[in-house]
Amino acid sequence: MKIGILTKRETGLTDKMRSFYKETGHKVTIYTTKNLAVNSSLFENDFYILKSKQLLFLYAGYFLYKNNIPVIPNPIISYTYKHRIESYYSIRNCGLNTPKIYMGTPKSIKKQVKESEYPLLVKPLMGSGSKGIKVIKSGDDLDSDNNKILYFEKFIEGTHYLAYFINEQICVGEKKPFANEHANIKLMKPEDDIRHALMIWREKYNLLFGHLDMIRENSTNKLIVVDTGTFPEFSNWQNANSIVSTICNLILKRYNDRREMNE
Amino acid sequence: MLKNIGLIIDKYHLEKKVREFLSYMRKVCELSIYVEENYLVNFNDVSFNEDLFFIKGKGDGIINFAKSLERDTDIPVINSSKGIWLAYNRFLNSTLLKSAGIRVPNFSLNPKEDTPPFKDFIIKNVRDQDNYAFDPTIQTTINSVEVKDNRALEEVYGKNAQYSFFYYQEYIESKFEYKIYGVGEELFYYKQKPILRDPDKMKSREKIKPILELGEIAYKVMELCDLQITSLDFLKSEDNSYYLTDVNSTPNFNYLENGPQIIADYLLAKAKR
Repeated sequence: MKIGILTKRETGLTDKMRSFYKETGHKVTIYTTKNLAVNSSLFENDFYILKSKQLLFLYAGYFLYKNNIPVIPNPIISYTYKHRIESYYSIRNCGLNTPKIYMGTPKSIKKQVKESEYPLLVKPLMGSGSKGIKVIKSGDDLDSDNNKILYFEKFIEGTHYLAYFINEQICVGEKKPFANEHANIKLMKPEDDIRHALMIWREKYNLLFGHLDMIRENSTNKLIVVDTGTFPEFSNWQNANSIVSTICNLILKRYNDRREMNE
Repeated sequence: MLKNIGLIIDKYHLEKKVREFLSYMRKVCELSIYVEENYLVNFNDVSFNEDLFFIKGKGDGIINFAKSLERDTDIPVINSSKGIWLAYNRFLNSTLLKSAGIRVPNFSLNPKEDTPPFKDFIIKNVRDQDNYAFDPTIQTTINSVEVKDNRALEEVYGKNAQYSFFYYQEYIESKFEYKIYGVGEELFYYKQKPILRDPDKMKSREKIKPILELGEIAYKVMELCDLQITSLDFLKSEDNSYYLTDVNSTPNFNYLENGPQIIADYLLAKAKR
Protein backbone atom coordinates (compact mmCIF):
# COMPACT_ATOMS: atom_id res chain seq x y z
CA MET A 1 0.00 0.00 0.00
CA LYS A 2 1.15 3.57 -0.65
CA ILE A 3 0.43 5.64 2.43
CA GLY A 4 0.77 9.41 2.86
CA ILE A 5 1.06 11.01 6.29
CA LEU A 6 0.04 14.68 6.65
CA THR A 7 1.96 15.93 9.65
CA LYS A 8 3.59 18.95 11.30
CA ARG A 9 6.75 17.03 12.17
CA GLU A 10 8.45 13.83 11.12
CA THR A 11 9.51 12.83 14.63
CA GLY A 12 7.62 11.18 17.51
CA LEU A 13 4.60 9.05 16.74
CA THR A 14 4.79 9.88 13.02
CA ASP A 15 8.28 8.43 12.82
CA LYS A 16 7.22 5.30 14.69
CA MET A 17 4.23 4.84 12.40
CA ARG A 18 6.44 5.25 9.33
CA SER A 19 8.80 2.58 10.64
CA PHE A 20 5.93 0.21 11.41
CA TYR A 21 4.36 0.55 7.99
CA LYS A 22 7.70 0.23 6.20
CA GLU A 23 8.58 -2.89 8.17
CA THR A 24 5.26 -4.41 7.21
CA GLY A 25 5.82 -3.83 3.48
CA HIS A 26 4.12 -0.50 2.81
CA LYS A 27 5.50 2.58 1.12
CA VAL A 28 5.21 5.71 3.23
CA THR A 29 5.55 9.37 2.21
CA ILE A 30 5.57 12.08 4.85
CA TYR A 31 4.10 15.48 3.92
CA THR A 32 4.98 18.48 6.07
CA THR A 33 4.50 22.20 5.37
CA LYS A 34 7.85 22.13 3.56
CA ASN A 35 6.91 19.67 0.82
CA LEU A 36 3.11 19.54 0.74
CA ALA A 37 1.57 20.85 -2.47
CA VAL A 38 -2.18 20.32 -2.45
CA ASN A 39 -3.15 19.30 -5.97
CA SER A 40 -3.59 16.18 -8.07
CA SER A 41 0.00 15.11 -7.34
CA LEU A 42 -1.41 13.71 -4.08
CA PHE A 43 -3.52 11.16 -5.93
CA GLU A 44 -0.53 8.78 -6.13
CA ASN A 45 -1.12 7.35 -2.65
CA ASP A 46 -3.80 4.80 -1.73
CA PHE A 47 -4.80 6.64 1.42
CA TYR A 48 -3.70 9.33 3.86
CA ILE A 49 -3.29 9.66 7.58
CA LEU A 50 -4.22 13.12 8.86
CA LYS A 51 -1.89 13.44 11.84
CA SER A 52 -2.01 17.23 12.20
CA LYS A 53 -4.93 19.66 12.35
CA GLN A 54 -2.98 22.66 11.01
CA LEU A 55 -4.95 24.50 8.35
CA LEU A 56 -2.82 23.36 5.39
CA PHE A 57 -3.27 19.71 6.35
CA LEU A 58 -6.99 20.16 6.87
CA TYR A 59 -7.20 21.66 3.38
CA ALA A 60 -5.25 18.71 2.01
CA GLY A 61 -7.55 16.31 3.86
CA TYR A 62 -10.65 17.99 2.46
CA PHE A 63 -9.19 18.01 -1.06
CA LEU A 64 -8.43 14.28 -0.88
CA TYR A 65 -11.76 13.43 0.71
CA LYS A 66 -13.65 15.28 -2.05
CA ASN A 67 -11.60 13.39 -4.63
CA ASN A 68 -12.47 10.03 -3.07
CA ILE A 69 -9.03 9.32 -1.61
CA PRO A 70 -9.56 7.93 1.91
CA VAL A 71 -8.27 10.07 4.76
CA ILE A 72 -8.06 8.76 8.34
CA PRO A 73 -9.17 10.31 10.69
CA ASN A 74 -12.01 11.93 8.75
CA PRO A 75 -10.90 15.49 7.82
CA ILE A 76 -14.36 16.97 8.39
CA ILE A 77 -14.32 15.70 11.98
CA SER A 78 -10.74 16.93 12.45
CA TYR A 79 -11.78 20.40 11.27
CA THR A 80 -14.79 20.33 13.58
CA TYR A 81 -12.63 19.61 16.61
CA LYS A 82 -10.15 22.32 15.66
CA HIS A 83 -12.86 24.99 15.47
CA ARG A 84 -13.92 25.98 19.01
CA ILE A 85 -17.55 26.71 18.14
CA GLU A 86 -17.98 23.53 16.09
CA SER A 87 -16.28 21.60 18.85
CA TYR A 88 -18.71 23.10 21.41
CA TYR A 89 -21.68 21.82 19.39
CA SER A 90 -20.04 18.41 18.92
CA ILE A 91 -19.61 18.01 22.66
CA ARG A 92 -23.12 19.22 23.39
CA ASN A 93 -24.57 16.86 20.76
CA CYS A 94 -23.20 13.94 22.79
CA GLY A 95 -25.03 15.13 25.88
CA LEU A 96 -21.73 16.07 27.54
CA ASN A 97 -21.19 19.28 29.51
CA THR A 98 -19.32 22.23 28.01
CA PRO A 99 -18.27 25.57 29.49
CA LYS A 100 -20.32 28.67 28.67
CA ILE A 101 -18.96 30.35 25.55
CA TYR A 102 -19.26 33.80 23.95
CA MET A 103 -18.01 35.64 20.87
CA GLY A 104 -17.56 39.37 20.54
CA THR A 105 -15.21 42.28 20.97
CA PRO A 106 -13.60 42.96 24.38
CA LYS A 107 -15.87 46.02 24.60
CA SER A 108 -19.04 43.97 24.14
CA ILE A 109 -17.88 41.37 26.69
CA LYS A 110 -17.10 44.10 29.19
CA LYS A 111 -20.49 45.70 28.68
CA GLN A 112 -22.67 42.62 28.58
CA VAL A 113 -21.11 39.95 30.81
CA LYS A 114 -21.65 40.18 34.57
CA GLU A 115 -18.59 40.36 36.82
CA SER A 116 -19.73 37.08 38.43
CA GLU A 117 -19.05 35.29 35.11
CA TYR A 118 -15.33 36.02 35.38
CA PRO A 119 -12.68 34.68 35.14
CA LEU A 120 -12.94 34.07 31.40
CA LEU A 121 -10.47 32.54 28.99
CA VAL A 122 -9.67 33.99 25.59
CA LYS A 123 -8.76 31.24 23.15
CA PRO A 124 -7.92 31.25 19.43
CA LEU A 125 -11.05 30.34 17.46
CA MET A 126 -9.09 27.79 15.46
CA GLY A 127 -6.99 25.91 17.92
CA SER A 128 -6.74 23.18 20.44
CA GLY A 129 -4.67 22.55 23.50
CA SER A 130 -3.31 25.35 25.62
CA LYS A 131 -1.60 27.41 22.89
CA GLY A 132 -2.62 31.09 22.80
CA ILE A 133 -4.88 30.97 25.89
CA LYS A 134 -5.14 34.03 28.12
CA VAL A 135 -6.93 34.32 31.47
CA ILE A 136 -9.18 37.38 31.93
CA LYS A 137 -9.76 37.89 35.64
CA SER A 138 -12.13 40.86 35.30
CA GLY A 139 -13.41 43.39 32.81
CA ASP A 140 -10.45 45.60 33.65
CA ASP A 141 -8.13 43.12 31.89
CA LEU A 142 -9.87 43.82 28.58
CA ASP A 143 -8.79 46.44 26.10
CA SER A 144 -11.97 48.29 25.10
CA ASP A 145 -10.29 49.82 22.04
CA ASN A 146 -9.63 46.42 20.53
CA ASN A 147 -12.30 45.82 17.86
CA LYS A 148 -11.23 42.25 17.16
CA ILE A 149 -13.86 39.54 17.49
CA LEU A 150 -12.64 37.04 20.07
CA TYR A 151 -13.74 33.71 21.46
CA PHE A 152 -14.35 33.67 25.24
CA GLU A 153 -14.94 30.69 27.46
CA LYS A 154 -15.91 30.60 31.14
CA PHE A 155 -12.99 29.47 33.28
CA ILE A 156 -13.84 26.31 35.21
CA GLU A 157 -12.29 25.95 38.65
CA GLY A 158 -11.55 22.28 39.23
CA THR A 159 -9.39 19.21 38.63
CA HIS A 160 -8.06 18.85 35.08
CA TYR A 161 -7.84 15.50 33.27
CA LEU A 162 -6.27 14.30 30.06
CA ALA A 163 -8.19 11.26 28.84
CA TYR A 164 -7.04 9.18 25.86
CA PHE A 165 -8.75 6.32 24.13
CA ILE A 166 -7.56 3.84 21.54
CA ASN A 167 -10.43 1.67 20.43
CA GLU A 168 -11.86 0.44 23.77
CA GLN A 169 -8.70 0.98 25.80
CA ILE A 170 -8.45 4.16 27.79
CA CYS A 171 -5.77 6.00 29.74
CA VAL A 172 -6.56 8.89 32.07
CA GLY A 173 -4.41 11.18 34.16
CA GLU A 174 -4.67 14.30 36.24
CA LYS A 175 -2.80 17.23 34.74
CA LYS A 176 -1.91 20.79 35.56
CA PRO A 177 -4.28 23.47 34.18
CA PHE A 178 -3.28 24.66 30.68
CA ALA A 179 -0.47 22.09 30.45
CA ASN A 180 -0.07 20.60 26.98
CA GLU A 181 -0.38 16.93 26.13
CA HIS A 182 3.32 16.29 26.66
CA ALA A 183 3.53 17.55 30.25
CA ASN A 184 3.61 14.83 32.87
CA ILE A 185 0.27 13.63 34.18
CA LYS A 186 -0.60 11.63 37.26
CA LEU A 187 -2.10 8.42 35.90
CA MET A 188 -5.26 7.27 37.65
CA LYS A 189 -8.01 4.71 37.50
CA PRO A 190 -10.75 6.47 35.53
CA GLU A 191 -14.00 7.23 37.27
CA ASP A 192 -17.16 5.89 35.66
CA ASP A 193 -18.33 9.20 34.23
CA ILE A 194 -14.95 9.82 32.57
CA ARG A 195 -14.99 6.36 31.01
CA HIS A 196 -18.62 6.91 29.96
CA ALA A 197 -17.82 10.29 28.35
CA LEU A 198 -14.95 8.78 26.34
CA MET A 199 -17.04 5.90 25.07
CA ILE A 200 -20.00 8.11 24.12
CA TRP A 201 -17.60 10.40 22.27
CA ARG A 202 -15.89 7.54 20.45
CA GLU A 203 -19.14 5.92 19.36
CA LYS A 204 -20.95 9.11 18.33
CA TYR A 205 -18.20 10.10 15.88
CA ASN A 206 -17.01 6.58 15.02
CA LEU A 207 -13.46 7.37 16.13
CA LEU A 208 -10.58 4.91 16.25
CA PHE A 209 -8.70 6.94 18.85
CA GLY A 210 -8.43 10.44 20.26
CA HIS A 211 -8.54 12.39 23.46
CA LEU A 212 -10.69 14.67 25.59
CA ASP A 213 -9.53 17.29 28.06
CA MET A 214 -11.97 17.45 30.94
CA ILE A 215 -12.39 19.34 34.20
CA ARG A 216 -14.21 18.14 37.31
CA GLU A 217 -15.79 21.40 38.50
CA ASN A 218 -15.15 22.05 42.19
CA SER A 219 -18.47 23.74 42.91
CA THR A 220 -20.77 21.20 41.20
CA ASN A 221 -18.61 18.05 40.81
CA LYS A 222 -19.78 18.03 37.16
CA LEU A 223 -17.47 16.72 34.47
CA ILE A 224 -16.98 19.37 31.75
CA VAL A 225 -15.28 18.74 28.40
CA VAL A 226 -13.04 21.65 27.41
CA ASP A 227 -10.99 20.34 24.51
CA THR A 228 -11.03 17.53 21.97
CA GLY A 229 -8.50 15.93 19.65
CA THR A 230 -8.48 13.38 16.86
CA PHE A 231 -4.82 12.39 16.80
CA PRO A 232 -2.77 13.08 19.93
CA GLU A 233 0.85 11.99 20.32
CA PHE A 234 -0.22 9.69 23.19
CA SER A 235 2.99 10.76 24.97
CA ASN A 236 1.44 10.02 28.36
CA TRP A 237 0.00 6.60 27.49
CA GLN A 238 1.54 3.91 29.72
CA ASN A 239 4.14 2.14 27.61
CA ALA A 240 3.68 4.41 24.60
CA ASN A 241 5.74 2.18 22.26
CA SER A 242 3.24 -0.66 22.59
CA ILE A 243 0.43 1.33 21.02
CA VAL A 244 2.09 2.07 17.67
CA SER A 245 1.14 -1.26 16.10
CA THR A 246 -2.39 -1.00 17.54
CA ILE A 247 -2.92 2.47 16.02
CA CYS A 248 -1.38 1.51 12.68
CA ASN A 249 -3.46 -1.67 12.43
CA LEU A 250 -6.66 0.15 13.36
CA ILE A 251 -5.99 2.64 10.55
CA LEU A 252 -5.31 -0.16 8.05
CA LYS A 253 -8.47 -1.96 9.12
CA ARG A 254 -10.54 1.22 8.72
CA TYR A 255 -9.09 1.71 5.24
CA ASN A 256 -9.78 -1.90 4.22
CA ASP A 257 -13.32 -1.83 5.64
CA ARG A 258 -14.11 1.31 3.66
CA ARG A 259 -12.60 -0.14 0.49
CA GLU A 260 -14.67 -3.30 0.83
CA MET A 261 -17.79 -1.25 1.46
CA ASN A 262 -17.17 0.77 -1.73
CA GLU A 263 -16.61 -2.38 -3.78
CA MET B 1 -48.75 42.79 11.49
CA LEU B 2 -45.33 43.49 10.01
CA LYS B 3 -42.74 40.74 9.82
CA ASN B 4 -39.78 40.98 12.13
CA ILE B 5 -36.44 40.79 10.32
CA GLY B 6 -33.02 40.68 11.96
CA LEU B 7 -30.03 42.10 10.12
CA ILE B 8 -26.62 40.81 11.24
CA ILE B 9 -23.99 43.11 9.82
CA ASP B 10 -20.54 44.58 10.42
CA LYS B 11 -19.78 48.28 10.75
CA TYR B 12 -18.22 48.48 7.30
CA HIS B 13 -21.27 47.16 5.46
CA LEU B 14 -23.62 49.15 7.69
CA GLU B 15 -21.87 52.42 6.93
CA LYS B 16 -21.08 51.86 3.26
CA LYS B 17 -23.43 49.39 1.62
CA VAL B 18 -27.00 49.30 2.91
CA ARG B 19 -28.42 52.82 3.08
CA GLU B 20 -31.16 52.28 0.47
CA PHE B 21 -31.83 48.77 1.67
CA LEU B 22 -32.41 49.98 5.24
CA SER B 23 -34.63 52.79 4.14
CA TYR B 24 -36.84 50.34 2.17
CA MET B 25 -36.83 47.69 4.89
CA ARG B 26 -37.95 50.18 7.54
CA LYS B 27 -41.07 50.81 5.49
CA VAL B 28 -42.04 47.17 5.03
CA CYS B 29 -41.00 45.33 8.20
CA GLU B 30 -39.86 45.60 11.80
CA LEU B 31 -36.09 45.66 11.55
CA SER B 32 -33.60 44.81 14.31
CA ILE B 33 -29.94 45.44 13.59
CA TYR B 34 -27.14 43.43 15.23
CA VAL B 35 -23.72 44.98 14.58
CA GLU B 36 -20.82 42.53 14.83
CA GLU B 37 -18.53 44.96 16.64
CA ASN B 38 -21.15 45.78 19.31
CA TYR B 39 -23.07 42.56 19.77
CA LEU B 40 -22.01 39.74 22.08
CA VAL B 41 -22.99 36.29 20.86
CA ASN B 42 -24.04 34.27 23.88
CA PHE B 43 -24.15 30.64 22.75
CA ASN B 44 -25.72 29.58 26.03
CA ASP B 45 -28.90 31.58 25.51
CA VAL B 46 -30.12 31.71 21.91
CA SER B 47 -33.70 32.92 21.80
CA PHE B 48 -35.05 35.44 19.33
CA ASN B 49 -38.44 36.53 17.99
CA GLU B 50 -37.36 37.39 14.47
CA ASP B 51 -39.04 35.74 11.48
CA LEU B 52 -35.81 35.73 9.48
CA PHE B 53 -32.20 36.80 9.83
CA PHE B 54 -30.31 38.36 6.93
CA ILE B 55 -26.53 38.19 7.11
CA LYS B 56 -24.50 40.98 5.54
CA GLY B 57 -20.85 40.33 6.27
CA LYS B 58 -18.44 37.44 6.65
CA GLY B 59 -16.51 38.05 9.88
CA ASP B 60 -16.10 35.31 12.48
CA GLY B 61 -18.58 36.94 14.86
CA ILE B 62 -21.22 37.11 12.14
CA ILE B 63 -20.75 33.57 10.87
CA ASN B 64 -20.81 32.03 14.32
CA PHE B 65 -23.85 34.09 15.33
CA ALA B 66 -25.57 32.67 12.23
CA LYS B 67 -24.42 29.19 13.24
CA SER B 68 -25.97 29.54 16.70
CA LEU B 69 -29.30 30.54 15.13
CA GLU B 70 -29.20 27.60 12.73
CA ARG B 71 -28.39 25.11 15.47
CA ASP B 72 -30.66 26.40 18.23
CA THR B 73 -33.68 27.99 16.52
CA ASP B 74 -35.95 27.34 13.53
CA ILE B 75 -35.56 30.89 12.22
CA PRO B 76 -34.45 31.01 8.56
CA VAL B 77 -30.96 32.49 8.07
CA ILE B 78 -29.90 33.95 4.70
CA ASN B 79 -27.14 33.28 3.71
CA SER B 80 -26.30 30.26 5.79
CA SER B 81 -23.11 30.13 7.84
CA LYS B 82 -21.92 27.26 5.64
CA GLY B 83 -22.50 29.26 2.46
CA ILE B 84 -20.60 32.29 3.74
CA TRP B 85 -17.75 30.14 5.02
CA LEU B 86 -17.44 28.25 1.73
CA ALA B 87 -17.61 31.43 -0.32
CA TYR B 88 -14.67 33.10 1.39
CA ASN B 89 -12.58 29.93 1.57
CA ARG B 90 -11.35 29.93 -2.02
CA PHE B 91 -9.58 26.60 -1.82
CA LEU B 92 -12.53 24.81 -0.24
CA ASN B 93 -15.12 26.10 -2.70
CA SER B 94 -12.87 25.38 -5.69
CA THR B 95 -12.37 21.84 -4.38
CA LEU B 96 -16.07 21.30 -3.74
CA LEU B 97 -17.20 22.75 -7.06
CA LYS B 98 -14.61 20.97 -9.17
CA SER B 99 -15.45 17.65 -7.55
CA ALA B 100 -19.11 18.29 -8.49
CA GLY B 101 -18.23 18.90 -12.13
CA ILE B 102 -18.24 22.72 -12.19
CA ARG B 103 -15.48 24.11 -14.39
CA VAL B 104 -13.11 26.21 -12.27
CA PRO B 105 -9.57 27.26 -13.23
CA ASN B 106 -6.88 24.77 -12.17
CA PHE B 107 -5.71 25.55 -8.66
CA SER B 108 -3.06 24.46 -6.21
CA LEU B 109 -1.73 25.22 -2.73
CA ASN B 110 2.06 25.28 -2.69
CA PRO B 111 4.77 26.08 -0.15
CA LYS B 112 5.93 29.68 -0.58
CA GLU B 113 9.38 28.49 -1.69
CA ASP B 114 7.98 26.37 -4.58
CA THR B 115 8.17 27.31 -8.26
CA PRO B 116 4.67 28.37 -9.37
CA PRO B 117 2.70 25.34 -10.59
CA PHE B 118 1.29 27.14 -13.67
CA LYS B 119 2.88 29.19 -16.44
CA ASP B 120 0.14 31.86 -16.22
CA PHE B 121 -1.28 32.32 -12.75
CA ILE B 122 -2.94 34.51 -10.16
CA ILE B 123 -1.92 34.26 -6.52
CA LYS B 124 -5.06 35.01 -4.52
CA ASN B 125 -5.55 35.33 -0.79
CA VAL B 126 -6.38 31.97 0.79
CA ARG B 127 -9.39 33.28 2.68
CA ASP B 128 -11.24 36.27 1.26
CA GLN B 129 -12.78 37.22 4.60
CA ASP B 130 -11.78 40.86 5.08
CA ASN B 131 -13.44 43.87 3.50
CA TYR B 132 -10.40 44.86 1.43
CA ALA B 133 -10.49 44.94 -2.36
CA PHE B 134 -8.35 42.89 -4.76
CA ASP B 135 -4.98 44.64 -5.05
CA PRO B 136 -3.03 43.08 -7.90
CA THR B 137 0.54 43.43 -9.14
CA ILE B 138 0.66 42.29 -12.75
CA GLN B 139 3.76 41.07 -14.57
CA THR B 140 3.34 40.23 -18.23
CA THR B 141 6.07 38.85 -20.49
CA ILE B 142 5.93 37.24 -23.95
CA ASN B 143 5.77 33.85 -22.28
CA SER B 144 3.68 34.33 -19.18
CA VAL B 145 1.21 36.32 -17.11
CA GLU B 146 1.86 36.50 -13.37
CA VAL B 147 -0.65 38.25 -11.13
CA LYS B 148 -0.12 38.55 -7.40
CA ASP B 149 -2.73 39.93 -5.04
CA ASN B 150 -0.81 42.02 -2.52
CA ARG B 151 -3.20 40.84 0.21
CA ALA B 152 -1.96 37.30 -0.44
CA LEU B 153 1.69 38.36 -0.25
CA GLU B 154 0.95 40.15 3.03
CA GLU B 155 -0.61 36.98 4.46
CA VAL B 156 2.61 35.08 3.79
CA TYR B 157 5.41 37.66 4.09
CA GLY B 158 3.74 40.41 6.16
CA LYS B 159 4.28 41.41 9.77
CA ASN B 160 1.44 39.16 10.94
CA ALA B 161 2.08 36.32 8.48
CA GLN B 162 -0.58 33.62 8.73
CA TYR B 163 0.46 31.11 6.10
CA SER B 164 3.56 29.51 4.64
CA PHE B 165 1.84 28.64 1.37
CA PHE B 166 0.18 30.32 -1.61
CA TYR B 167 -3.11 29.67 -3.33
CA TYR B 168 -2.51 29.63 -7.09
CA GLN B 169 -5.24 29.83 -9.67
CA GLU B 170 -4.41 29.30 -13.35
CA TYR B 171 -4.87 32.54 -15.28
CA ILE B 172 -7.63 32.51 -17.91
CA GLU B 173 -7.37 35.08 -20.66
CA SER B 174 -10.84 36.47 -21.33
CA LYS B 175 -12.22 39.47 -23.20
CA PHE B 176 -14.98 39.94 -20.64
CA GLU B 177 -15.80 39.00 -17.11
CA TYR B 178 -19.36 37.70 -16.67
CA LYS B 179 -21.12 38.48 -13.43
CA ILE B 180 -24.26 36.65 -12.43
CA TYR B 181 -26.27 37.78 -9.42
CA GLY B 182 -28.51 35.14 -7.90
CA VAL B 183 -31.41 35.99 -5.60
CA GLY B 184 -33.29 32.76 -4.99
CA GLU B 185 -34.58 31.61 -8.38
CA GLU B 186 -33.97 34.96 -10.04
CA LEU B 187 -30.72 35.50 -11.96
CA PHE B 188 -29.34 38.77 -13.32
CA TYR B 189 -26.66 38.75 -16.02
CA TYR B 190 -23.93 41.34 -16.62
CA LYS B 191 -20.60 41.54 -18.34
CA GLN B 192 -17.67 43.94 -17.97
CA LYS B 193 -14.01 44.23 -18.84
CA PRO B 194 -11.93 41.97 -16.56
CA ILE B 195 -10.77 43.86 -13.50
CA LEU B 196 -7.14 43.24 -14.48
CA ARG B 197 -7.70 45.16 -17.70
CA ASP B 198 -9.80 47.93 -16.20
CA PRO B 199 -9.94 48.35 -12.42
CA ASP B 200 -13.03 50.55 -12.72
CA LYS B 201 -15.33 47.58 -13.19
CA MET B 202 -18.55 49.60 -13.33
CA LYS B 203 -17.37 51.73 -16.27
CA SER B 204 -17.68 48.90 -18.74
CA ARG B 205 -20.43 46.92 -17.00
CA GLU B 206 -23.51 46.20 -19.10
CA LYS B 207 -26.61 44.14 -18.64
CA ILE B 208 -26.74 41.14 -20.97
CA LYS B 209 -29.34 38.60 -22.08
CA PRO B 210 -29.46 35.39 -20.02
CA ILE B 211 -26.87 32.80 -20.99
CA LEU B 212 -28.45 29.41 -20.42
CA GLU B 213 -25.19 27.64 -19.62
CA LEU B 214 -24.21 30.19 -16.98
CA GLY B 215 -27.69 30.08 -15.47
CA GLU B 216 -27.49 26.30 -15.03
CA ILE B 217 -24.08 26.58 -13.44
CA ALA B 218 -25.26 29.38 -11.13
CA TYR B 219 -28.19 27.30 -9.80
CA LYS B 220 -25.89 24.34 -9.22
CA VAL B 221 -23.29 26.47 -7.39
CA MET B 222 -25.98 28.05 -5.20
CA GLU B 223 -27.24 24.60 -4.25
CA LEU B 224 -23.80 23.12 -3.63
CA CYS B 225 -22.62 26.09 -1.57
CA ASP B 226 -25.96 26.59 0.20
CA LEU B 227 -26.24 30.20 -0.96
CA GLN B 228 -29.59 31.90 -1.60
CA ILE B 229 -28.11 35.29 -2.45
CA THR B 230 -24.83 35.44 -4.35
CA SER B 231 -22.78 36.92 -7.14
CA LEU B 232 -20.59 34.69 -9.28
CA ASP B 233 -17.73 35.72 -11.57
CA PHE B 234 -16.94 33.84 -14.76
CA LEU B 235 -14.26 34.16 -17.43
CA LYS B 236 -14.56 32.81 -20.97
CA SER B 237 -11.46 31.12 -22.37
CA GLU B 238 -10.28 31.17 -25.98
CA ASP B 239 -12.10 27.89 -26.64
CA ASN B 240 -15.37 29.48 -25.37
CA SER B 241 -15.51 27.58 -22.09
CA TYR B 242 -16.80 29.42 -19.03
CA TYR B 243 -14.71 29.19 -15.86
CA LEU B 244 -16.09 30.14 -12.46
CA THR B 245 -13.42 32.25 -10.76
CA ASP B 246 -15.15 33.71 -7.68
CA VAL B 247 -18.09 33.03 -5.39
CA ASN B 248 -19.41 35.89 -3.26
CA SER B 249 -21.82 35.51 -0.37
CA THR B 250 -22.27 39.25 0.32
CA PRO B 251 -22.73 40.82 -3.12
CA ASN B 252 -23.11 44.55 -3.45
CA PHE B 253 -26.76 44.59 -4.49
CA ASN B 254 -26.66 48.35 -5.06
CA TYR B 255 -25.19 47.54 -8.48
CA LEU B 256 -28.42 45.77 -9.45
CA GLU B 257 -31.28 47.80 -10.81
CA ASN B 258 -33.72 47.99 -7.83
CA GLY B 259 -31.28 45.69 -6.03
CA PRO B 260 -32.11 46.72 -2.45
CA GLN B 261 -35.83 46.22 -3.09
CA ILE B 262 -35.34 42.89 -4.85
CA ILE B 263 -33.33 41.59 -1.89
CA ALA B 264 -35.77 42.96 0.68
CA ASP B 265 -38.81 41.46 -1.06
CA TYR B 266 -37.05 38.11 -1.34
CA LEU B 267 -36.24 38.10 2.37
CA LEU B 268 -39.80 38.97 3.32
CA ALA B 269 -41.11 36.14 1.14
CA LYS B 270 -38.77 33.70 2.90
CA ALA B 271 -39.60 34.86 6.44
CA LYS B 272 -41.28 32.42 8.84
CA ARG B 273 -44.70 34.07 9.12
